[in-house]
Amino acid sequence: MQDQTITITIDEQGHSTLDLEGFAGRSCEKVFEDFRGGDTVKIERKKPAYYTDQQAQREKSQR
Amino acid sequence: MSKYGVSITELKEEKYLVDALREMGYRPEVHHEAVPMNSYYSEQEAKQANIIIRRHELRGACGDIGFARQPDGRLTLIAEELDAYHGYGEKWLGRVQQLYKEKQTLAMARAKGYILKKREAIQTKEGQQVRLQFAVRR
Repeated sequence: MQDQTITITIDEQGHSTLDLEGFAGRSCEKVFEDFRGGDTVKIERKKPAYYTDQQAQREKSQR
Repeated sequence: MSKYGVSITELKEEKYLVDALREMGYRPEVHHEAVPMNSYYSEQEAKQANIIIRRHELRGACGDIGFARQPDGRLTLIAEELDAYHGYGEKWLGRVQQLYKEKQTLAMARAKGYILKKREAIQTKEGQQVRLQFAVRR
């Protein structure tokens, strides 16, 4: 299983960028909300891995 | 990578704002009820704030700088317009937001069981960035 890492980059202009790796589905959303911390989101993008990891998890649970 | 997002830091939690201002070398006053701020120009309208840095701590400033609690819970900057030209404008506020966000993130991560793996300060053309890397406790 891929390592789950969270990288947050905070700049001097009052913006922060959040990168989540190795997460899928609901766990991804929970971690994203934790680190958003009530801030206003300007951009939010799900990467292809979000869906492929979710699919893999579904297949694993069906086995 | 699973998800990517860019957020604008909202100052809402007094504790982290006060900690951020202290780290910048100020001794902010904290008031549950907003109190008047002092201004160099007496004819200017009286402003009130909940968190105040007095002018004597702000080199070159015309007045106190404060943060006032808004009905939606945000703490917004209250300052003389002129002080934006004295080093207390967007760049100054951005630094406050940066320190605030770092302190808030570290406290939240500690409370929710995330593990801090790395902290880096990176110099860019746009200024310093702070990069925090966390792992999930298994």
